[in-house]
Amino acid sequence: MGDTNIRTEIQELLEGGLETEIYPRADTSEDVNKIVNRLQKSGASLIEKLAIAGFTLNTIEHGGIEQPCETCMYYLVHRKYCELPELDVPVEPEWSCRLWRI
Amino acid sequence: MANLLWLQGGACSGNTMSFLNAEEPSACDLVTDFGINILWHPSLGMELGDNLQKLLKSCISGETPLDIFVFEGTVVQAPDGTGEWNRFAGRAMKDWVTELCDAAQYVVAIGDCATYGGIPATAPNPSESTGMQFLKREHGGFLGTDFASKAGLPVINIPGCPCHPDWVTQILVAVASGRGGEIGLDEFQRPKTFFSSFTQTGCTRNMHFAYKVSATEFGQRKGCLFYDLGCRGPMTHSPCNRILWNRQSSKTRAGMPCLGCTEPEFPFFDLEPGTLFKTQTVMGVPKDLPTGVDKTGYVKLTGAAKAAAPAWAEEDIFVV
Repeated sequence: MGDTNIRTEIQELLEGGLETEIYPRADTSEDVNKIVNRLQKSGASLIEKLAIAGFTLNTIEHGGIEQPCETCMYYLVHRKYCELPELDVPVEPEWSCRLWRI
Repeated sequence: MANLLWLQGGACSGNTMSFLNAEEPSACDLVTDFGINILWHPSLGMELGDNLQKLLKSCISGETPLDIFVFEGTVVQAPDGTGEWNRFAGRAMKDWVTELCDAAQYVVAIGDCATYGGIPATAPNPSESTGMQFLKREHGGFLGTDFASKAGLPVINIPGCPCHPDWVTQILVAVASGRGGEIGLDEFQRPKTFFSSFTQTGCTRNMHFAYKVSATEFGQRKGCLFYDLGCRGPMTHSPCNRILWNRQSSKTRAGMPCLGCTEPEFPFFDLEPGTLFKTQTVMGVPKDLPTGVDKTGYVKLTGAAKAAAPAWAEEDIFVV
């Protein structure tokens, strides 16, 4: 399945009410490690990835900083893609997740 | 002719191994071209037992002029400040160090252990180790803040784990050729000629740093190692990418994050598992930012630079 199709599937899942763990955000490195460890154990299920990482279709502001995919270090601008190995999914620039890092 | 004596305290001999690989100039060049007479070195010295004691005592008394005293490794003070855990030539090494430093024209600390305490001095520091004139960032160390060698200089610190061999031989040549007084030292007593720039200076991944493209896994040949893999290149003072290792490469050029081993705090993070090769963050922002950059500026710059990143910056541009 191409990036476009997966991106559409993610959008439909989130618009359809898929509950994701938007909070608490990963404020510390320990928080990040815990979430990443859960992702590693969850296998390749797209729904589990979205839920554990706390995906949203809109940008979340946290601690006075906006956290959109487009400024995240794992985001590939030209492919519109999240390169965090444990996520590895196409995204939109205005989306957000709690593993955001700049 | 300049007499040089080299001793090791709490050391792994890594700096000796590095020194013996020096090329510009080499360890042999020091002897043949620059008039350095190596009185004794742990891997090169011929004297043993009584003869070594005589040599050391001769240096202390001044009978044998001691121009350069090089120390590698920590000064071990355990147990209870006696230094008996590190005995050498019939007594605690720390006692030799005290007397030899008083006798020497110049004292040069080699490697992170001798300069700032390094790994042995990390908590809980059971060997009561310290650097020659620093314990981590704290000035003083074993010799105290007021120590100055006979030439009037404090300990010349050449940190690194190990330090680059050419940093050592070039400083030894400067001292041996009478230019020791011209060696400018920074606040941690490192020669400025080597330690004013950053490890990042000359890094082949700098364009990825500029466009905020991150390496996210080891083995990737694109992306900067700072953003995710714990590289300390932007805040570590060293010329590792200016004076290349083996004249070929560097850690970061080979895809290995800089560990910051020329800074007094090395090793960082108290060696907690999972911290060494992961950039530590607070609310998504790196805990340690590039030197001189504040959080607000960093966030603004990063957002703008990432938006401007060309497609090639996100691809593997290096080929074998």
